Amino acid sequence: MTQLGFHIDTRYCIECKSCQIACNDKNNLGVETLFRQVHYFEGGEFPNPWVWHLSMSCNHCVDPLCVKNCPTGALYKREKDGIVLHDPDKCIGCRYCEWSCPYGAISFLENEKVIGKCNFCVDLIDEGKNPACVDACLMRVLHFGDIEELRKEFGGSGDIVGLPDSHITQPSLLITPKPEAVLGKEKEVGR
Amino acid sequence: MSIRDWALIVFTILAQTSVGALWVLLVTRYFAGRKYEMEEVDRLTDRALMAIGPVIVLGGVASLFHLSRPFSAYLAVVNIGTSWLSRESFFGAAFAALVIVFAILQTRKIGTISLRNVIAGLTALVGLGLIVSMSSVYMLPTYPAWDSWVTPVTFFTSTLLMGTLAVGAALVANYVYMQRKEPDYADAQSMLLRGTLRRIALAAVLLLGVEFVVLPIYLALLAAGPRAALLSAQLMAAGPFSWALVLRVTLAFFGAVFVSMFMYQNTINPGQEKMLGKLTYVAFVLVLLAEVLGRFLFYMTKHPLT
Repeated sequence: MTQLGFHIDTRYCIECKSCQIACNDKNNLGVETLFRQVHYFEGGEFPNPWVWHLSMSCNHCVDPLCVKNCPTGALYKREKDGIVLHDPDKCIGCRYCEWSCPYGAISFLENEKVIGKCNFCVDLIDEGKNPACVDACLMRVLHFGDIEELRKEFGGSGDIVGLPDSHITQPSLLITPKPEAVLGKEKEVGR
Repeated sequence: MSIRDWALIVFTILAQTSVGALWVLLVTRYFAGRKYEMEEVDRLTDRALMAIGPVIVLGGVASLFHLSRPFSAYLAVVNIGTSWLSRESFFGAAFAALVIVFAILQTRKIGTISLRNVIAGLTALVGLGLIVSMSSVYMLPTYPAWDSWVTPVTFFTSTLLMGTLAVGAALVANYVYMQRKEPDYADAQSMLLRGTLRRIALAAVLLLGVEFVVLPIYLALLAAGPRAALLSAQLMAAGPFSWALVLRVTLAFFGAVFVSMFMYQNTINPGQEKMLGKLTYVAFVLVLLAEVLGRFLFYMTKHPLT
């Protein structure tokens, strides 16, 4: 089975938030709801300050806790490409998926009274197109595709400073980190 | 704190009280039945048994306020294969149905004793399933403050503590009712009531002892855990919710130790039933408030991993 995922090269992300805006536009979301969010990390001291940005959405995990824990089966993995999808008709608004997701990738839509999340722009994917966030990325640091193909092309890891252990849900996410974000290198860069 | 959060507090407290009350009532019936006529035991426990169903139903109704689409709540059992929340919903509904059926059969003496015993045992087991599922719902790696052995241990201790004192209060209320409506039986019931309340008082002290041993271990575990766990410990022990922790410990101590010891003292000699009744009510109310505060802290001090 193919497992679609994202690769993000944080070394060159400039926090323009085009991905975030494109996602909101595509999903017709208000400014208060973000299915994709650019996070900001900073630290260090003069003369060695550091900063990096990380664009995150649902990671369409291989072993998603949201799918496992959803009491109604509203959240499910699409068999052909591993995308985690949500059926709003089955959602009862218990919001247990919000508690379950270690990446905080699930939002509650107040008007619809159900949760919402990144669906990998599944309609565009099915038409052979790219997700809106990937196309919008000015720096071309956000990539998508089969996670194993992405691993071969870019390398990277789902485990960087600030993220939960990838063993929890096995996210379909690869990150090429800045040196300060590499796990175990914290002392060297004076975090 | 939103109505959604309060819905969960009310549901978990009422569900645990009702399961604990059933367990305690069944144990009471078993031991009392070895010393006294079953008719006397029935007079002691039947009305208390009738109260359990409405308590769990009330808890179930409260839990609906946690949902944004309460009318679709029936869908919550669909994913029972993998979701602890589905299992909790299933066991909650099954427990409510079984405990109501058992109470009707028992109080109206329908069916054989063996049949009623089988249904009682099954209801107790389903109650166990409910508390196990309820604990497992919160054991999420996302929230280090919840993801440890402390969650099931505290849930089971709360279940037993609230159940024990709820049964005490219900038995006292039953005795007061009998004094007014069936005075012929009231005297015979006095010894049975005092003996039961004596054990209830001792059990309350013991169970609070468990809570008081677990609490410092829990705080130490959080302090030694990841950053999210440390933040939870800080919120609870030194942050904006420390008042709730102090109040919770104080109320629990007064209810389950101080008042319970007076309860114990008043069970020794007959003629103290009035005072004994008041003390039992006070102990139950204090412990209930302490447990509500404990649950408030449980939800308010959770901190996500990221």
